[in-house]
Amino acid sequence: MVGRYPDFDVFDAVETWDHATRKVIEDRMALAGRPLRFFTPEEEPTLRAFCDTVMAQDDEPRVPVAEFVDDKLAAGRLDGYQYADMPDDRETWRLVLAGLDEAARDRFGAEGFAAADPTGREEVVDALAAGKLSGGSWERLNVTRAWSVVMHAVLTGFYSHPWAWNEIGFGGPAYPRGFMRLGPVSTLEPFESPGATQEDPVRIVAEGEV
Amino acid sequence: MRDLIRGILKGAVGPEANDSRFLLDVHSRDLPGESTMVRYDDSDEVDLVVVGAGAGGSVLAQRLARAGWRVVILEAGPFWHPDEDWVSDEAGSHQLYWTQKRIIGGSDPIPMGSNNSGRGVGGSMVHYAGYCPRFHPSDFHTHSVDGVGADWPITYEDLRPHYEQVERELPVAGQDWPWGHPHRYPFSPHPVSEQGAVLWRGAIRAGVEMRVGPVGIVNGTFGNRPHCIYRGYCLQGCKVNAKASPYVTHLPDALAHRVEIRADCMVARVELDDATGRAVGVVYHDEVGGTERLQRARFVAVSGYSIETPRLLLQSTSRRFPHGLGNNDDQVGRYVMVQGAAQTAGRFPEEIRQYKAPPPEVSSEQFYETDPARGFARGFSIQTVGPLPITWSEHVLADGHWGRALREYMRDYNHWATIGVLNELLPHQDNRVTLAEETDPYGLPVARFDFSVGDNDQANMDYSTKVIKDILEAAGAQDVLTVHRYAHLVGGARMGTSPESSVLDANQRIWGVPNVFCSDGSVMPTQGSANPALTIMALASRLAERMASGRAMDSSGALVG
Ligand SMILES: Cc1cc2nc3c(=O)[nH]c(=O)nc-3n(C[C@H](O)[C@H](O)[C@H](O)COP(=O)(O)OP(=O)(O)OC[C@H]3O[C@@H](n4cnc5c(N)ncnc54)[C@H](O)[C@@H]3O)c2cc1C
Ligand code: SF4
Repeated sequence: MVGRYPDFDVFDAVETWDHATRKVIEDRMALAGRPLRFFTPEEEPTLRAFCDTVMAQDDEPRVPVAEFVDDKLAAGRLDGYQYADMPDDRETWRLVLAGLDEAARDRFGAEGFAAADPTGREEVVDALAAGKLSGGSWERLNVTRAWSVVMHAVLTGFYSHPWAWNEIGFGGPAYPRGFMRLGPVSTLEPFESPGATQEDPVRIVAEGEV
Repeated sequence: MRDLIRGILKGAVGPEANDSRFLLDVHSRDLPGESTMVRYDDSDEVDLVVVGAGAGGSVLAQRLARAGWRVVILEAGPFWHPDEDWVSDEAGSHQLYWTQKRIIGGSDPIPMGSNNSGRGVGGSMVHYAGYCPRFHPSDFHTHSVDGVGADWPITYEDLRPHYEQVERELPVAGQDWPWGHPHRYPFSPHPVSEQGAVLWRGAIRAGVEMRVGPVGIVNGTFGNRPHCIYRGYCLQGCKVNAKASPYVTHLPDALAHRVEIRADCMVARVELDDATGRAVGVVYHDEVGGTERLQRARFVAVSGYSIETPRLLLQSTSRRFPHGLGNNDDQVGRYVMVQGAAQTAGRFPEEIRQYKAPPPEVSSEQFYETDPARGFARGFSIQTVGPLPITWSEHVLADGHWGRALREYMRDYNHWATIGVLNELLPHQDNRVTLAEETDPYGLPVARFDFSVGDNDQANMDYSTKVIKDILEAAGAQDVLTVHRYAHLVGGARMGTSPESSVLDANQRIWGVPNVFCSDGSVMPTQGSANPALTIMALASRLAERMASGRAMDSSGALVG
């Protein structure tokens, strides 16, 4: 997946960020390659395969989504709520990973989710997103809610990373600099750059061109 | 002539009896006075102990401190040092939220955390969006007028002077307001961002009137508070001091009037003397695993917001109140409300860049009141919002996309503009907070919140999402995408006219307990379709006035004077 903003890099403005924000973002980037603390070595391949599949990351360098999720759960940085018909988020993650392995085994006889081919993995995730997985670990979860719990963490990991901001043309941290140019349409700050293309994703997705 | 004078004076007349804006430091965001703050002893019987340094608790403390009361605020969360603690980053703002566990149930469970409650000195307004509308006069008697909801034991006129005072203190910026009780704002409207302008144009074409504001964001300068820099991170805490929260609007003045804010202190219960029926103070923990401490006080104000206030009252059992303080009629924790808060985004051929400028920009209350032709009671408001990337990705996910499709939508982020509604959902007795089996790190039972929408609520939400979709289409959106969600919290310890159907009397005092009051969002019997913070502050301001004069302590519980 290529971004639309080939000439834009949020880091060009890094000198304008306040030190607290800069530290948080640099710490986040340093998560890449960090050994996992929460997930076990057995769970790790499934976790990575899942994060790659749902974020369509198939190449290095990757946004370290798996590491972000692991760090969040290991530190107990939970979101402040638990559905009455669901276990704690940490337990939900373990059950989802186990359930993905079970689904890949049942459907394709694969050794686990990570061993299935990309199309097989997408098929399983499709079923998860539609709340249509059952049996085994899934019986201990409300499947639709489990999907929202895990995706909330995955999306936070991905879209909190500056590489993702470059891909979508987001201006990034803006203190103490701020924004002086609010409009009219397509008025840019000196450090922003216009998109090189502007195709409508609704049409692309609807017509199966992704 | 009057308009001319008002125009010249706009922004020049500050509030009386609140020096917060001058006490702030231009070079540091820390709360001035922390290092020289007065410290009271647990055994000092202070005049007032407040549980929670949020919207309601801070205003009450500041006012009564000015009246000479000796006040301690106990706050569960940290004492912020914004220069180091707050960041211009979505994921990095996690610590601002109340992230201790709550169990959510019912047929429409409400996700908690970032979306509805804060923890720390300043409370939830530290990361609220900044919309500061008043309630309408009709909100105070929906039961008599529309046959739904409940009547308040007070009226709009009781709050009006306090709305005006709090609007000067925040200060609120916006256009002259045509809805509800028409009024003006002390500061001029902010310039409108591109996304606000696009949506506004659509509204005009769709026949919907909108106005700029009202927002609690400085336009110009206000004492030592600077002008907004339009960076768009209001929901992550304002590092500029432009956005109003008690941290900048009331707590500086409170500290200057000898209030102690004791942070990192979790209150476990209100301690009642069963012999006299009076509260003697509150029991709290100053660390996990630590021993219990008791802060003595003549009066107690519970200001923990709609989940924690009921939780604390339910935990405060005694011989007189075996099921929790004020709960002999099984009213504590009931009638908790959230607002429907669907958001619709539209795709435009041009780049909009919705991350710039504060998310609150332009809003409408045209649909606020009941219109029988719509087929449901009460109404909704419409407001612009500006989701940052993580929040925006949740919208795309909710529309059913993940993997490559999600990335494709996401890289188109700059072409979308988002508008939302706030529906007045009606109070229902079974939408309530109870105590769960599970305990928190302090060993206290966690709250469980059950919520289910009713038929009138659903009809309201369905209708309103059609209206915002029409606005986007009239604005020229090529495609639209709607997510269904909820926002805000109020109720749970409502005020009323009798103990059988409410927790508090018209003075926000717990029925049957002479010296315990609530001062926060939990006291509201209904919620209108206005954002709640300004009303929470105005209620606290009114309560303070009545406590200072002693009128709030009248034994009958009826309104006197
Ligand atoms: C993302 C978001 C956006 C919002 N946007 C708007 C908006 O645009 N406009 C608007 O009007 N409102 C908005 N709100 C809502 C508004 O912030 C709240 O309604 C308001 O702050 C509630 O005030 P309060 O005094 O009832 O409670 P809070 O401000 O939440 O204060 C309660 C305090 O009590 C503390 N506390 C709780 N229990 C205990 C205990 N047992 N011991 C010690 N301390 C305790 C908490 O830590 C907290 O600091 C928004 C809220 C959020 C989360
Ligand atoms: S947009 Fe303005 S009010 Fe909002 S956080 Fe930035 S400076 Fe503060």
